[in-house]
Amino acid sequence: MSAPRPFNLIAELTYRCPLRCTYCSNPLDWAQVRDGLSADDWGRVFREAAQLGVLHVGLTGGEPSVRTDLPAIVAHAAQAELYAHLVTAGTPLDRVGLEALAEAGLRSVQLSLQDTIPDESDAVAGGTFFARKLAFAAWVRELGLPLTLNVVLQRRNLARVTDVIEMAAKLGAHRLELANVQLHGWALENRAALLPTREQLDDAAAAVHACRERHPDLEILFVLPDWFAGRPKPCMGGWGRSHAVVAPDGSVLPCHGARALPLEFWSIRDRSFAECWGDAPGMNAYRGEDWMPDPCRSCDERTRDFGGCRCQAFALTGDAANTDPACSLAPHHDVLVAARNAAGAEPTEAVHREVR
Amino acid sequence: MSAQLEARLRQVLAERYHDKHPFNVRMHEGTLSREEIQTWVRNRYYYQTRIPLKDSVILTKSGDPAFRREWVQRIHDHDGVAPGEGGLERWLDLAEVVGLERAEVESLAGVLPGVRAACDDYVRLVEERELLEAVASSLTEIGAAEIMKVRLVAFEKHYPWVGERGLAYFRGRVEQAPRDAGWGLAWVLSHARSAEDADRCVAALEKKCEILWRLLDAVEYAHRTPRLSKAAQRRPDPQDGRATVVLPERAVRLNASGEEILDLCDGDHTADAIGRELGGRHPEIAGVVPDVHAFLADMERLGVLESSPSAKSQAPEASEERAT
Repeated sequence: MSAPRPFNLIAELTYRCPLRCTYCSNPLDWAQVRDGLSADDWGRVFREAAQLGVLHVGLTGGEPSVRTDLPAIVAHAAQAELYAHLVTAGTPLDRVGLEALAEAGLRSVQLSLQDTIPDESDAVAGGTFFARKLAFAAWVRELGLPLTLNVVLQRRNLARVTDVIEMAAKLGAHRLELANVQLHGWALENRAALLPTREQLDDAAAAVHACRERHPDLEILFVLPDWFAGRPKPCMGGWGRSHAVVAPDGSVLPCHGARALPLEFWSIRDRSFAECWGDAPGMNAYRGEDWMPDPCRSCDERTRDFGGCRCQAFALTGDAANTDPACSLAPHHDVLVAARNAAGAEPTEAVHREVR
Repeated sequence: MSAQLEARLRQVLAERYHDKHPFNVRMHEGTLSREEIQTWVRNRYYYQTRIPLKDSVILTKSGDPAFRREWVQRIHDHDGVAPGEGGLERWLDLAEVVGLERAEVESLAGVLPGVRAACDDYVRLVEERELLEAVASSLTEIGAAEIMKVRLVAFEKHYPWVGERGLAYFRGRVEQAPRDAGWGLAWVLSHARSAEDADRCVAALEKKCEILWRLLDAVEYAHRTPRLSKAAQRRPDPQDGRATVVLPERAVRLNASGEEILDLCDGDHTADAIGRELGGRHPEIAGVVPDVHAFLADMERLGVLESSPSAKSQAPEASEERAT
């Protein structure tokens, strides 16, 4: 089959990060994956991706600004005419560094925030970062760059959703992603500590609804998480369909977590981006609809949710080709319900991301 | 009960009547350009044409001959009782005096989509609500006499080129509005019997104030100078060459007309000028000007375009919030 056109490149420049968030979706063995691509290598990836039709590049990680060659990487993205978007925790990048990125052609910034209460935010991040993040948000706006604020919602901060929205408005964000915690990587390990209750989610949804009118200029994203919605999420807009992830070691993946699956992906260190995207066996494993089992294959939702998340199917059922257990129609839905009930029954303390 | 309702209705007007809209404020300060006055006259004419329609709807809602005898007077005021008379004719006089073609204004061809939508909402409001609410919505007339007086002084002082013939409409309203408003207010106060009635009257008047406000928002926008927003990257699509605007989280693909419009969004051309330019280039296509304005508004909403925030109109609640 001919590969679909990728529109969005997610460039994971490194898995290193000064933060140790309990909800991190990086792989558990992140420390074993080295930064295998130089700035010039990234430049080649950007040019080849642009030729294939990519418009946006998200520079992410880990924390991308731990790379001292980040300005050169941004310049490569701009030269390839990609819309360069930085996904950052706001540290260690300082104001001068941010200015250098803007000069190199950075277009927009997404900043993570863990909570509105400084101690709570720092407790999730595993260090003292909160005050720095607020300063960073102000620098972004001073430089005239559009600011997206991303707040991962979980059991400990869901009650403060209104405060989060007010803070986003005050910081001048144009978009707020209220990202209900996705249970991948470290977050899956910590699910008993992170998983909210249904009641918390309903309250949060009502609070978001009430706030939307007050802030018509702030785009607020809030989606009921798949563990509670009974419907799978349209993960990455479909496997290998519009989003390409390039991991720190050069592997081209359909999503952040796919390296954990028993599939063969290719690296741009060995091949062109077009080959890695279009021809790697792993990329083609779940493209389109031919791979779908029942009930997906005959379901009207398949063109909207694309069968949900393969990594979740693998993590919970041991087979990535199974219907995503988040779906209430899935044969393994009871596995997810049991995991949800178990997590809800005995909340535990989350462990911070560490070297394993 | 009725004193309380009157106070609430007056409070609505004190907070939300369009005399506080930035466009009216500038009109009365004398800082509007001739083009801005023309746009206002051309578009406000659409509002004037809807008034006899909504008054006709109100007539159909009353079974009381005394009410209808009084209310039909408003239709006579606007339409006249003989050709060449009435408020609509006086407004067309104003249109000529400010340099517009009478026939062009009368055709309604250049009415902005936002103005059309706001005025149509007014007629719909009157159609859908009960008589009591329909009459309550007309009580913006309480503020009309005062705004007409301010306007007459402002025009004589700042826009002397308009001349006496152009001011006849405003002079007429100085007499008519207080009479109509006084009668309408007394009728509303004596017919609003329950707390729910009072709430509905207040809500109807708020809605009407919002409609007048939106009308001026649309008129004001016509003179803003849109430009590609700072966040936007305009580029040809790498595969098919189609003009594309990339923004954080989204990309907008343009067709040939969209590209033609965006070419004129240079921060120099006004929305009005862009509409006229495109209309001139494509005389064979009907409705180019309103389509261009609708497109510009869409593009601004998506973040493709931005226009000077200093001229951005603030809704009354928002400006109040800012002050506290």
